[in-house]
Amino acid sequence: MNTELRADIEAHMALYPDSRSAALPALEAAQRVHGWCSPDAIEEVAEVMGVTPAYLAAVATFYDMLETEPVGKHSIYVCTNISCSLRGADALHAAVSEAAGDDPDFNVRSFECLGACDIAPMASVDGVFVGPLTLEDIPQLLDDTRAGRPVLPEKQLSTRLVADPNANSREFPAHAAEGGTQ
Amino acid sequence: MTEALLFKDIDEPGLATLDVYAKRGGYESLRKALASTPEDVLAQLEASGLRGRGGAGFAMGKKVSFLPKGTIDKYLVCNADESEPGTFKDRELMQKSPHMLIEGLIIASYAAGASRSFIYIRGEYVHQADVLDAALAEATAAGYIGENILGSGHSLSLVVHRGAGAYICGEETGLLDSLEGKRGNPRLKPPFPANQGLYQGPTLINNVETLATVPAIIRMGGEKYAELGTETSKGTKLVSVSGHVQRPGNYEIELGTPSREIIYGLAGGPPEGREVKCWFPGGSSSPVLKQEDLDLPYDFEAMAKAGSMLGSGAIIVVDDSTPILDVALKVAKFYRHESCGKCTPCREGTTWTVKMLERIDAGTATPMDIEIMASVQEHIIGNCLCVLGDAMAMPIGSMIAKFRDEFEEHIEAARIRNGLGAGALEPALATGVTG
Amino acid sequence: MPRPEAKTITFTIDGREVQAPENMMLVDAAKLGDVEIPVFCYEPKLGNPVGACRMCLVEIEGIPKLQTGCSTPVKDGMVVNTQSERVKIAQESVVEFLLVNHPLDCPVCDKGGECPLQDITFGWGPGKTRFVEEKRHFVKPLALSEKIAIDRERCILCYRCVRYSQEVAEDYQLVLLERGAHSYVSTFDGNPYEAPFSGNIVELCPVGALTSRDYRFRARPWDVEDSGSVCTLCAAQCNVSLTVRDERVLRVLARDHAEVDDGWLCDRGRFAYPSLGEDRITHPLIRDGGELRAVSWERALDEAATRLKRAGAQTGALVGGGATNEEGFLLGRLLREGLDSPNIDSRVAGTLPLELHRALGEPGLQAKVSDLEFAHAVLALECDLVPDAAILDLRLRKGVRRHGMKLVRASLADLLERPAELVAKLKEAGPADGASAEIVVLWGERLTTGPDGARAAQALLDLAGTLGIADTDNAGLLEIPAQSNGRGLREAGALPNAGPGLSSVDEDGLDARAIAQALSKGELSCLYLLGADPLTGAADELDRELWGRALANATTVISHAMFLTDAIREHADIVFPAGAYPEKEGTVVHPDGRIQRLRPAVAKPGESRAEWQVIADVTARVGLDLDVLTGGMASQQLFDAVPQYSGLTLEEIGGKGVRPQERATAVAS
Ligand SMILES: Cc1cc2nc3c(=O)[nH]c(=O)nc-3n(C[C@H](O)[C@H](O)[C@H](O)COP(=O)(O)O)c2cc1C
Ligand code: SF4
Ligand code: FES
Repeated sequence: MNTELRADIEAHMALYPDSRSAALPALEAAQRVHGWCSPDAIEEVAEVMGVTPAYLAAVATFYDMLETEPVGKHSIYVCTNISCSLRGADALHAAVSEAAGDDPDFNVRSFECLGACDIAPMASVDGVFVGPLTLEDIPQLLDDTRAGRPVLPEKQLSTRLVADPNANSREFPAHAAEGGTQ
Repeated sequence: MTEALLFKDIDEPGLATLDVYAKRGGYESLRKALASTPEDVLAQLEASGLRGRGGAGFAMGKKVSFLPKGTIDKYLVCNADESEPGTFKDRELMQKSPHMLIEGLIIASYAAGASRSFIYIRGEYVHQADVLDAALAEATAAGYIGENILGSGHSLSLVVHRGAGAYICGEETGLLDSLEGKRGNPRLKPPFPANQGLYQGPTLINNVETLATVPAIIRMGGEKYAELGTETSKGTKLVSVSGHVQRPGNYEIELGTPSREIIYGLAGGPPEGREVKCWFPGGSSSPVLKQEDLDLPYDFEAMAKAGSMLGSGAIIVVDDSTPILDVALKVAKFYRHESCGKCTPCREGTTWTVKMLERIDAGTATPMDIEIMASVQEHIIGNCLCVLGDAMAMPIGSMIAKFRDEFEEHIEAARIRNGLGAGALEPALATGVTG
Repeated sequence: MPRPEAKTITFTIDGREVQAPENMMLVDAAKLGDVEIPVFCYEPKLGNPVGACRMCLVEIEGIPKLQTGCSTPVKDGMVVNTQSERVKIAQESVVEFLLVNHPLDCPVCDKGGECPLQDITFGWGPGKTRFVEEKRHFVKPLALSEKIAIDRERCILCYRCVRYSQEVAEDYQLVLLERGAHSYVSTFDGNPYEAPFSGNIVELCPVGALTSRDYRFRARPWDVEDSGSVCTLCAAQCNVSLTVRDERVLRVLARDHAEVDDGWLCDRGRFAYPSLGEDRITHPLIRDGGELRAVSWERALDEAATRLKRAGAQTGALVGGGATNEEGFLLGRLLREGLDSPNIDSRVAGTLPLELHRALGEPGLQAKVSDLEFAHAVLALECDLVPDAAILDLRLRKGVRRHGMKLVRASLADLLERPAELVAKLKEAGPADGASAEIVVLWGERLTTGPDGARAAQALLDLAGTLGIADTDNAGLLEIPAQSNGRGLREAGALPNAGPGLSSVDEDGLDARAIAQALSKGELSCLYLLGADPLTGAADELDRELWGRALANATTVISHAMFLTDAIREHADIVFPAGAYPEKEGTVVHPDGRIQRLRPAVAKPGESRAEWQVIADVTARVGLDLDVLTGGMASQQLFDAVPQYSGLTLEEIGGKGVRPQERATAVAS
C-alpha cells in the first residue's frame, strides 16, 4: 500500500490515547488517495489500524462525507436545508446538477445545513464555501472548479465581514480572498 | 448594548494570528487565571452565570464542578460540530478568532483539571479547521499548550479532530463515540460525560461559544459579566439570523434584547412587502413562534415560556410567501436523514412523518392524517434515547398546532389537484390487525 | 476478584412492595414481583444495556421523563409504575413504530409462534396499525453464511446480533451499515459471517431476521417438542435443548447454564446435528468372509461373548470420549471382573501415576467455570479451547473484557523451565492491597499425556502450591480433558491404574499405547472399542502407525460405533450400533467436576440398543451378571461405586447437574 497513506494514518493514531479514534481521519486520508472509501481502501486502513474492515465499513457508511460508492473528484455540496431553501436553494441545486450533467469529475450533492446560512443559498465546492449564489454563477462555478482556479473569489465566505453593525471597535477592510483554501 | 465581547475585533486583519490576538490583550486572561487557583477560576465561572451556548443552556460553572476531583485523567472536549440548521456563529468565531477559543479552552481545562483536550469540528468546516490547526501550532510554540503551561504546573494537550458529516455528532455522547472512532450513536445517560465520558474518563463538554466567552469572563470578573443580560440569562449571545431577512448574519446581542429588535432592527426583517409568518428562535429544533411573539425578550426563560427554546441561538425567519408544509417537510426530512437509527421512535417516527407530509403534498392524504401525524409527534417526544427525535417532533408538532387550518387547506387543494376531491373522508386507518 | 454482591432493598412496583437485590436492573427486579416489562434490546449477556428499542419505558416517581427499565438500577424506596396511561401509550407507540417497517409476514416466518415481537405486539401493542405507507425494502432472504439466513426487512435494529459479534465473540465481523432507517446488519463487503460461534445470533434475534438455514421451513413451534440434554461433542459439555419432530433432531438451542455455557453454543454443537443422524450403523454387524454383514442381536452378542471368553485376560479396551460414565464403568466391570483383564484406558496416551491423578483431582483445587470470569488472572496452559472446550473461549473473553481478568498463555516448556516467571506474571494481577490473587490455571490434558506427563503434572501441582490455590477461594485448577467425558470416564474407573473413584487396583493394566504394542506383539489378542476409533483419534502419526499394526494383528476387534470409519470397516469383527448423544441416557462429568445428565430426546435408529444394555448382555454371556436392567440401575451402581458420588440420584442431578465438591460442603455445613 501507499507508504505515505500508511504514515499519515499512523501519525493520526499516535495523537489519541486509543488509536481507534483515528478512524475518521484515517478514512478521510484513504478517501483522498483512493477517491472514495472503496473496499480496498477500507482493507488498507483496517490493516494499519488493526481493526476489522467491518468496523471501518460501519463507520464509513455512517458519515455523509465519506463516500462508499465511486464519485467524481470535485465535490459540490449544495445546501438545501431550511435557510438556504427559503432563498432558492432547491432550484439552485437542480440547476447545478443539470449543468454538471454527467461529467464524471463532479460529485454534486444536496447537503444538509452547512453552517453558512448568512450567504444563502450557498455551496461548498471542494470545501470552499461560496454564496449567495444565483443561477448565473453556475457556469463560472463549474469552470473555476474544472480549471483548478479559486472558485468564485468574490463570493467566498472567507472574504466577508460579520453582519453585526455593533461588532468591531474600529473599521476594518473586508478580507481579500485567499484562493485555494478559501 | 455597551460593547461587543466576542465580536469586538472580529474582523481585524490577522486576528487569527497569535501576534494580532496578543496585541488585543489575548492570553492575558490565561495568565490571570493561571496566577490564581483552579477553584478561583471555577468560582468566577459560576459567578458569571454563563449558560451553555450549544443548545441546552446548562450552567457552565456547574458542569465544571460536576467533574470528580483528583488526579485521574480528565478530558475537555469542545463541541464545534455546529450542525443545527440555521446556526453559524461558531464558524465565525473559529475562523476569525481561533485563539479566543483556544484561550478559553485552556482556562476551562485548568478549572476542570483536564489534561487532554479535543476540538471536535464538523468535517464540512475545512477552512475553519485549518485555521484552528494553525492557531494551535502557534499556541503550542508559545507554550500555551503543552507541559507545565507558563510555569503553572498545568499541562494540556489539544487535538483538532475533524468530523465527517453527521448532525448527531453534535449531541454530546454521539460526539464522544465519534471521537472514539465509532459510529456517532448517542449513549444512554446516565452515566453522564462528567463521570464517564471520553474513553470512560470524566469529560467536560462545551460549545465553542461557551468556551470562547471564558476569557472575557476572566478579564471582567464573573460578577461584572453577570451584570449583562437578564436575571437568568446572563451575558451576551451570538445570534445567527437567517431565512427571510434582509441582512442575514451573526449578531452579538445582550440576552433579553427584544426579539423584534434582532429580527427587524439588526437583520432588517423580511423583504419589502412581506410579513413574518413564523420564526424558529433556536435552530430548526425549536418549536416555531409567530408574529405575536416578536416582542418577547430574547432569552432562555422567555423562549421557554413561549413554548419554544433559545437553543443554539439561531433565528430562522419564514415569511408569508412560504407554505407551512414546505417548512415542515424540510425540517422532517432533515431529522430523518440525521437520525442515527439506534432508537425506535426517532428512527421510525421521522420516517413515518416524512411519508405523511409527502402524501399531503401529493394529494393522497386526508384530514385524519393530520391527527395521526400530531399523535406520532407526541409519541416521539420524551421516548427517545437522545433528543434528536424530539428535535423533529417539537417543531412539527408546533406547526401542526399553529397552522392546522393551512395544513387542512393544503390537503384539500392537493386532493382536488389530484382529482380525488375534498370533503369528509374515510379515516386513513389501516384495516389490518397487527401481529 | 470480588464478585458483585448486593444488599436487598425494597421497592414498589404497580402498588406492590417487592424485595430485590440493590442495583438489579428494573426489568429483572420487576420479575421478582411478577411484573413483566417488555424488552427487545436488553440482554445482559451482551454487556451493558444500550437502551435502543425503548420498549421497556416505565414511570418512576420523582423523574419527569419515562425511563428505560433495562438500564435503571433499582434502589431502595423506588416507586415504579408500569400500568399508567402514560406508560401504556409509550409501549403501544413503540410497538407501532417497530411495526412501521416490519413486513408482518408471520405466516411464512420461521420465528412465528416463538417470536418476541409477536408476543409483545399481542401483549403491549395498540391492536391496530395506522401506518399505510410503503415499507422499507431489502432483498430477502439472503445467506449471511452457509448456516444462517438474514431477512433485513424483518429486522427491528435491536443491536443484539452486532453487539454479540463485537462484544461477546469479539470477531467484529457483524456490524450495522448506513444510518437511520437505512441502517442494516451486514458484514464487510458481503462476506459470509464465518466464526466459531456465529450461530448464537440466531437465538439472540427477537424476530425472524436471522434464522437457521437448516431449520428453514422445517417446523412450526406447535409441531415440535423440546428436550433438554447435554452436548458431548467436546469437553465444554454445553447444556442444550433439542427441538424434536418425528424422532428427529431439527435444531439445537442453548439451555442457559451460568456455570457451564453462559447461554452460548459453538457452531459445531449447534449445527452438527444433521450429520449425527446420517449414514449411521443401525444393526449389529459381524465380519463374514471379509465383509461386515448385518446379523441378529443374539448372534452378535453370542459371538462377542465367545471371543471375549476365549481372549480372557488378553483383552484390552479403549473408551472413547463420548461414552457416558455408566458405559465406562460397566465396561470396567466386564474387563476386570468378567475377564480378569486390567487393560482398560480412556486417555489417548500416557499413564499418570495414581497419586498424581488424585492430587490433580483434589476437590479443594478445582476451579469452577465462573471462576474463569472473575479471577484476577487465568493461566491457559497448553490449551486450544476452540476445538477442545469451545464455549470456554467466550468465558475467557468475557473475563478479560468485563472484569479486567488478566489472561496469560503458556506452554509446557514455560511451565517446566520458567515457572517463576509465570508466577510473577500471574501474581502481578492480584489486588493492590497485597491480598492473595485469585488465579485459575486452565490446563489442557495434553500437558500430561506426553513423555514428560508425570513431570508436568508435578510441576503443575507445584505451581498450584506456589500460587496458594488451595487456600484461596475462587482460585483453582481447571483441566480441559482431551476428550469430552475424559474426566467422568476416569472417575468411573476407565483407567489402567485406577478403579471407580480413582481407587487403587490390585494390578495395573496396560495403558492405551501399551495395549497397541501388546496387540502388535501378539501379547493381547482382543480389542474392545467403546466408541473409540484409535486411528482417527490417534495422538500423532507414530501412534497411528502403531494402531494400524495393532488392529491388523488383533484376533478380535469388537466395537461400538456410530459410523463405518476406516478402522471399523477394515478391522472390526463385531460391530454394535452406537448412539449419538441425543439418543443417550446416563451421566457425564464436566471438566469442573459437575455431573450432568443426558436425556434421550429421540429414539435410536434402526435396531440400535443402549450401550449399557449391550455391555450388560455381553457380560452376562461371559458369565457375570452385572445386575443392570435399566439405565437408572446402571447410574445407581456407578453412584454407589464412586465415593464422591455416594448418595446421588438422577433426580438430584436434574437439569442443572451437581458438583460433588460443592455438594460435600453443602452436606457438611
Ligand atoms: C441532536 C443534537 C445536536 C446537537 N448539536 C450540537 C452542536 O452542533 N453544537 C453544540 O455545541 N451542541 C450541540 N448539541 C448540544 C450538546 O449535546 C451539548 O449539550 C453541548 O455541546 C454542551 O455544551 P454547552 O453546555 O457549552 O452548550 C446538540 C444536541 C443534540 C441533542
Ligand atoms: S433519538 Fe434519534 S438520533 Fe437520538 S438515539 Fe434515537 S435514533 Fe439516534
Ligand atoms: S429493552 Fe430497554 S430500551 Fe430496549
